[in-house]
Amino acid sequence: MNYLQYYPIDVVNGEGTRCTLFVSGCEHRCKGCHNATTWDSRRGIPYDQAMEDRIIADLGDSRIQRDGLSLSGGDPLFPDNLSGILKLVKRVKAEYPDKNIWLWTGYTLEELSHAQQEVVQYIDVLIDGRFELDKRDLSLPWRGSINQRIIYINKRTLKQIK
Amino acid sequence: MTEIIKRDGSRQPFDAPRIVKAVASALNDAQIKDHDFAEYVAKKVANTVDGLELVDIYDIQDQVEHLMMSSEHHNAARKYIEYRQTRDIERESRNALSREILSIINQDNEELLNENANKDSKIIPTQRDLLAGVVARHYARQHILPKHITAAHDRGEIHYHDLDYAPFFPMFNCMLIDIEGMMTNGFRMGNAEIETPRSITTAAAITAQIIAQVSSHIYGGTSINEIDRIHAPYVRKTFDKHLQQGMRWIGNEEKAREYAMEMTEKDCYDAYQALEYEVNTLHTANGQTPFVTFGFGLGTSWEERLVQKSILKNRIRGLGKNCKTPVFPKLVFAIRKGVNFNPEDPNYDIKQLALKCASKRMYPDILNYDKLVEVTGSFKTPMGCRSFLGVYEEDGKIIHDGRNNLGVVSLNLPRMAIESKGSEETFYQLLEQRLQLAKEALMTRIQRLDSVPARVAPILYVEGACGVRLKPDDKISEIFKNGRASISLGYIGIHETINALYGGKSTSGDLYDSEELRRKAVAIVETLRAAVNNWKEETGYGFSLYSTPSESLCDRFCRLDKKKFGVVEGVTEKGYYTNSFHLDVEKKVNPYDKVDFEQVYPKHASGGFICYGEYPNMVNNLKALENVWDYTYDKVPYYGTNTPNDSCYSCDYEGEFNATSRGFECPQCKNRDSDRMSVTRRVCGYLGQPNSRPFIKGKQEEVVRRVKHL
Repeated sequence: MNYLQYYPIDVVNGEGTRCTLFVSGCEHRCKGCHNATTWDSRRGIPYDQAMEDRIIADLGDSRIQRDGLSLSGGDPLFPDNLSGILKLVKRVKAEYPDKNIWLWTGYTLEELSHAQQEVVQYIDVLIDGRFELDKRDLSLPWRGSINQRIIYINKRTLKQIK
Repeated sequence: MTEIIKRDGSRQPFDAPRIVKAVASALNDAQIKDHDFAEYVAKKVANTVDGLELVDIYDIQDQVEHLMMSSEHHNAARKYIEYRQTRDIERESRNALSREILSIINQDNEELLNENANKDSKIIPTQRDLLAGVVARHYARQHILPKHITAAHDRGEIHYHDLDYAPFFPMFNCMLIDIEGMMTNGFRMGNAEIETPRSITTAAAITAQIIAQVSSHIYGGTSINEIDRIHAPYVRKTFDKHLQQGMRWIGNEEKAREYAMEMTEKDCYDAYQALEYEVNTLHTANGQTPFVTFGFGLGTSWEERLVQKSILKNRIRGLGKNCKTPVFPKLVFAIRKGVNFNPEDPNYDIKQLALKCASKRMYPDILNYDKLVEVTGSFKTPMGCRSFLGVYEEDGKIIHDGRNNLGVVSLNLPRMAIESKGSEETFYQLLEQRLQLAKEALMTRIQRLDSVPARVAPILYVEGACGVRLKPDDKISEIFKNGRASISLGYIGIHETINALYGGKSTSGDLYDSEELRRKAVAIVETLRAAVNNWKEETGYGFSLYSTPSESLCDRFCRLDKKKFGVVEGVTEKGYYTNSFHLDVEKKVNPYDKVDFEQVYPKHASGGFICYGEYPNMVNNLKALENVWDYTYDKVPYYGTNTPNDSCYSCDYEGEFNATSRGFECPQCKNRDSDRMSVTRRVCGYLGQPNSRPFIKGKQEEVVRRVKHL
């Protein structure tokens, strides 16, 4: 897995003060995409153990409180990204059960594969769906077009998709 | 016949007796009696021009000078030359005055017209004010200020602020109005005797009237300290009145109380709505909307809480049918542990409202109670946008309301750094000299107010705004002594100063990255503070160190230095100097690190300071905004979050507009029509609406270069 950007302090991708990782690789190729440079999974910087450790350390920073981790891209649920992302979200939840994880994906909740669902178990807020240019609305919080949803994941949502 | 071309280009026949007169007068000044000599000079000159059609007046004068110098009357020659020089300067300055006046009519002097983003120079009353300013400035420079002070100001070594008002007029800068004293004891305003109000509606209306009057008599900002506490008794009166009505018509006390509360809430909201409209529609005698600041937030009674909520809810609503962001009054919200900081505090709900308000309207800025007390000795709202009073007691009681600031003179620190050519020793020597100049300049402000009678500003001195009730013929100077008023040394451009002094030599990077340079920067500010402490000791006046907001000064000093020294890398090349101790606006750091960087300064510059962070639109993320506010609590006393939230009247988009070279643009519908948008940005301590009234060039450049801290 490669990543394009990492913001150790971020306030525009999810509620509160966050750490945000933009990974490479996306197969949706939505027209009008804000981050088209992130489509190619070979772009960016290789994501490694050191990066994972850094994210974990930043989330635990005692000087600047973080409310959680945001995963965006690209698509964190792009097939090649799943193993790296799963490892990361598992570790975040294990080390900081009180911090939340937000994840942006172009897939809809209903069309997730099993492997993708496995990741979503560790996610608190999922913003799903492709970006549709004709449904663009800049005033929407946390998403670009009106078809995209903010889904607060709980046990019931998980059961529904299984 | 020979004709002379005069200085203004007009022509006049050559007139030898004029030369006789001029030379005779010079001889007379030098106490030399030799009338024949004057005749001789005139004749000589007449001979040389004879037969010529046109002669320039300067050639005539040069000949006269030459003839005198080559005679034995050297002293007379010197007198003649001095006289010529004096006349030349006078003539030049008369021309400068005419030029400035003309530029108001022609609207072509951007520096003059855009100096203050709050003044709309297109309209007649503002033009009258600008005209008065031009004349007052001119007169003060020529006839009131000592020559060397004027010269230092003109050269841009120091800046004598607000020359368009003082010292020509015996006016002071900014203040905390003693509204409580005025309303409790009654006062006279214009033709009316005002008694203690009997409702919040009347109290708010009277407050607006007082603001209008006071701001026409001073040139800086007017603040109301703890307006929630001051207006609370009138909220109670409104409630009592409604309760009485309720009891009369409903009978049932519980129901009547409920009715009275609801009615009072409505009245209170409406009263502050009216007050906000008043302030924003007012036009003071100074040709602008008054610079007004409301401080509030500490009160926990039902009445005080209601005042706080009413102010915030009105601000969140916005002005008029487009719900535009109001620029005034500036709102300053106090945060205190035990009152509103933590979720279990009684006013935590109001802090949430304040966060919502700040995300949408940029104000309120926040005052962190404990830190403010630590840095300035007591809690109070800033006068205007950032001027803070020190501690002052009367009869064993600390008082704030009715006190004021007498004015500011600022030092051009980067200039000294450039002149020092990298020598720290030279820098501190120069600083010593310029500090002396600044002190002399500040003393002229104090002297100007000496023996001024109270009647020049009855609202301030006779009717109680300054917390005193003097008789019209009493002298006002007493109330400025013993630290009751402050008078401030300002400074600008710590960032550029450090670059100019140590640039290129430090291997450890720039000011932000280098511990060593950080210490050196603080040392400069400490030196300034030590100087004002000495002056205070020596004179008894409340000298304080003030971090100049530099709305127009950031442009002026830099422009003058660029002219004198050319483009100096890291110093003059940007076209503006950085505000006081602030971090370089282009430095990309997170707001937490910026707070850490700036937090060391307010305790030295305790007479005036504010710290900012540049944020994206935060309407949807109040939690993150609260995180930053909370972080500042024990670090900086006074903090503003610049969270642009513009609105487009074409497509209803709300969020941050793009700043382009052709003005502001809606990111959704690309609307660029300045009449169909509301754009609000921080100018200095105040907000401005640059789509309708442009900032001065250097400030605009600074705004464009501001990087987000998140």
